[in-house]
Parts: sequence; C-alpha cells; structure tokens
Amino acid sequence: MTRVAAMTMKMRKDEVTDGFCAAHILENAPQVDDGYFVVPKIVE
Amino acid sequence: MTKLTDLTIAEARQGLREKSFSARELTEAHLEAIEGANAALNAYVLPTPERALEMADASDARLKRGEGGALEGIPLGIKDLFCTKGFRTTACSHILDGFTPTYESTVTANLWAEGAVMLGKLNNDEFAMGSSNETSVYGPVVNPWRRKGSNAKLVPGGSSGGSSAAVAARLCMGATATDTGGSIRQPAAVTGTVGIKPTYGRCSRWGIVAFASSLDQAGPIARSVEDAAILLGAMASHDPKDTTSVDLPVPDYAASVGQGVKGLTVGIPREYRVPGMAPEIESLWQKGVDWLKAAGAKIKEVSLPHTKYALPSYYIVAPAEASSNLARYDGVRYGLREKGSDVISMYENTRAAGFGAEVKRRILIGTYVLSAGYYDAYYLKAQKVRTLIKRDFDQAFETVDAILTPTTPGPAFALGEKSGDPLEMYLNDIFTVTVNMAGLPGMSVPAGLSSEGTPLGLQLIGKPFDEETLFRVGRVIEQAAGPLTKPQDWWSKAA
Repeated sequence: MTRVAAMTMKMRKDEVTDGFCAAHILENAPQVDDGYFVVPKIVE
Repeated sequence: MTKLTDLTIAEARQGLREKSFSARELTEAHLEAIEGANAALNAYVLPTPERALEMADASDARLKRGEGGALEGIPLGIKDLFCTKGFRTTACSHILDGFTPTYESTVTANLWAEGAVMLGKLNNDEFAMGSSNETSVYGPVVNPWRRKGSNAKLVPGGSSGGSSAAVAARLCMGATATDTGGSIRQPAAVTGTVGIKPTYGRCSRWGIVAFASSLDQAGPIARSVEDAAILLGAMASHDPKDTTSVDLPVPDYAASVGQGVKGLTVGIPREYRVPGMAPEIESLWQKGVDWLKAAGAKIKEVSLPHTKYALPSYYIVAPAEASSNLARYDGVRYGLREKGSDVISMYENTRAAGFGAEVKRRILIGTYVLSAGYYDAYYLKAQKVRTLIKRDFDQAFETVDAILTPTTPGPAFALGEKSGDPLEMYLNDIFTVTVNMAGLPGMSVPAGLSSEGTPLGLQLIGKPFDEETLFRVGRVIEQAAGPLTKPQDWWSKAA
C-alpha cells in the first residue's frame, strides 16, 4: 500500500526552488569551520 | 462571566469580534494559567510568553481594522514535534538539545497565517514514541483528571500528552498534535478532549520531526467537535514541500458540524469486541450506538477480519521507518554531540547518550526487521498485511458511512503503572493503530466517565478525506453525552 486514495506523484519544473541558505543550515551544528561541518579526523 | 480560559474557540472568536475582550486579555489569561499550573502538570516544555503577547497585539491591531483570519487572536499550544522558527524544538529528546529551527513547519505557518497566537511548546513522548508521555526527556506530563477519592498522578496519554493535558486544564484553547499509532486520539480520550487524526496527506508533514513517515499525520486536540473542525480547517493544506500531501480543496469542516446523522449508516466492527474487554468500555460503546440510533442513524455490524494483525504489523512498520528516520541524528549537523576518538565512536557515543530507552528499543527492532535476512519475513509481510487491513475498510465502507469503536481499552492509568512492560503499553493502541495502517481519518470524542470518575472516549473512523462525516457524527455523540465536566482544579498555585 502506498496511498490512501489513488493519486499520482506530482511533477514540477526542474528548477531551483530553495537553497542558498548555508548559514541557516550550519546554525545548529555542534562544530563548524569556514562553511563546513567538522567531524573527528577520518584520514591520518 | 465565564472565565476567558473556559471559552471554546468558537465562543472566543465571537467575543473577539464583538470586542468583549481583546486578544491580549485572552492571551494573558492563558499565560497566567500556564504560569500557575506548569509546575504541577509539566504540559509545556517551553512557554513563549513574549512571542504570545507580540502575536496577540498584532491580532488586536488586525481585529481593530476589521481584518483577521479564522483563528485571529486564538492562543494555541504547539507540540514540540513541530518546528517553530527561532524557538527550540527537540521532540522532547536529549539528542535534539538546543535545536532551534531556522524554518517553520507548514502546519504551524498555516495557523499563524490565520492569526493564531503561540503560547509555547508542549511536552510529548520522546520522538512521539509512547502512549503515556513518560518517555519525554523533560519528564512526564500529569493528567489534570484524578480518580475519585485519590491523589494518584495519572498519565495524560501519549504521545501528545502535553497537548491533551494543556487543553483539558485550560492552558490553551486548542493544541496541535501528531498521530502515528493513536497519539492524538488516545490522549484525547483519557483527558476528555476531542482529537482528530485526519486522512494521511490532509496536513503537510513538512517541518514535523519524523517518526514513521507513512503513518505520521498532524491534527488538532480541542475541547469541542466544532473547535476541532475550526482548527483542522486551518491546519490542512496542500503543500508542494510534502509530496504525500494531497491537492484537494480543504472543505469548510465547521459547516458540517451541525448537519446531524439522519440517513447515515454507522458500522460496528465485530472484531473490536476483544476478549477481556472492560465491561464499562463495552457499555459505553453500546451507549454510543443507542445515541446514534436515537439521532436517526442506521447501525450495521461490519467485519474487519484482519484487525488482529494490525498491532503486530504496526510494530514492524513503525519501528522500521523510525530506525531509518532517526539515522540522521549523528552529532554532525544538529543537536547533541558526544566526543569520540574517531568519527564512528563519536556517532556511537552521541546516539548512546542522546536517545532514551524506548527510542533505542524501536531503533533496534526497526533495524532488525529491515536487515537483509529478515526483510522479507517481517517488513515485506507487514506491508502486505497493511494492504489487507486497508481492503477490510474499503469493503466495510461500501455499506457504511463511518465506523464507531472505543478509543482505548481503558481509562487513564497511573504514572509508572505500565511503564515497566512495553507490550502492555503497546496494547493501549489496539483500537487506534488500524486507522494509521489504513491511512484513514479517525476522531476521538469524549463520551462519558469511567467508574473511577475519569474520561473515556469513543472513536469514529471515516472514509478517506471524509472528515466532514466524522464531525457530523462526533457532534451528535458530544451532544448526547452531555456537556463535558471539567476536571477539578488542583493544579494551579491559586487553587
């Protein structure tokens, strides 16, 4: 079962509708640096 | 004059329009009630008085100009699962400590667009996983209702326990809630309030912290059927940001409330007469049947043969989706981070410290049923059962317009009474999960008091996108059951 009532997935124009909000996205991160999320070192 | 906090939304709207009181006065009365009650009830995890007064003043300005939306100046509480821009939203989990959304959920944005006032964020079970509001990281909510002659603290139901308790205790005029397996209807039933989970897709899920995406749906809890209709009308919308939201016009729900039940046929599902059902639940159900008959509805027994598989398959589908949704909490992008020597141990430490026991249990179950060796045996099988449950309802709705059942197997239980045994807790949802599995609308209406003097509810189940019939039938039950008695105020500092 995928739907309660018959309904087809809507398609929209392939264009940017949202974005350009990197500062907002990073606002709640525990550790950031220069526009990036920071995690413990992965590669030695 | 009636206390401002005792008014229904419908009455308050009229009072505001007639300038009998201002939106600021109405909001202040509620803020005062919260201030006096929250220490005892723990319904609000974040009161937002400054924001409330700011919004109330804006409403007064609009009302003065003769403008204003459907909920202009009406103070509401918001379940902590709804993202509110600039106000901490944690789903009552330690892992979302301090998360302050930079965006607003579609449902709450719709409410603000209609002029509603935010009083604060309401408590709930952690990630909405629970039936008693005891899994919240902020501690349990206490039901404003008490058993006759007892001071024992009762649970307000869950997961929307803050919403149900706040509405019942007059700490808001209505509240948003969410329902994945019964989390609107079960708390409404045990607090003597009205709660409706609309059809899956009726309200946008965008900006609501996800539990099980194919089951989650937002809806209101209020003190009357009419208020629930007014609130749902404002909450529902088509939303391009949620592809599962439906592009159907939102009907005028409030207009359907008084239409009566003459000519409607209401089904009574045989399989809901579970063995060991409490006699008072059985007699309440019969009372509901009699009320509807007396109001002109036809009653017909129907069969939903796959009902007994609903709860077991729900506890496969819901944890499966939860384990997938909750994978995002890894300490990188938001919320809690616990240090680790490398990235894997940082993830592990964060998740070990951040999630509570019930959430961990469901992540474990979900991960298990989705694992390569068990996917077909559990998850796929549960999906098939789900289709059968939906088919049962489709067949029943060929001959009936709505279905009447009890909402819960019993009245509110005491804090700690069932928290030791997860299976016993899960059984609270036995009458409500089928509705989520089938995606149908379901509403709980207060129908009387138990032998303990605490509220009991009846559940109405409707055809997809036919919430209007539920409001019609619900109003008849509400009228027949008589005016809601209020819980005796023991919780405010003044009392």
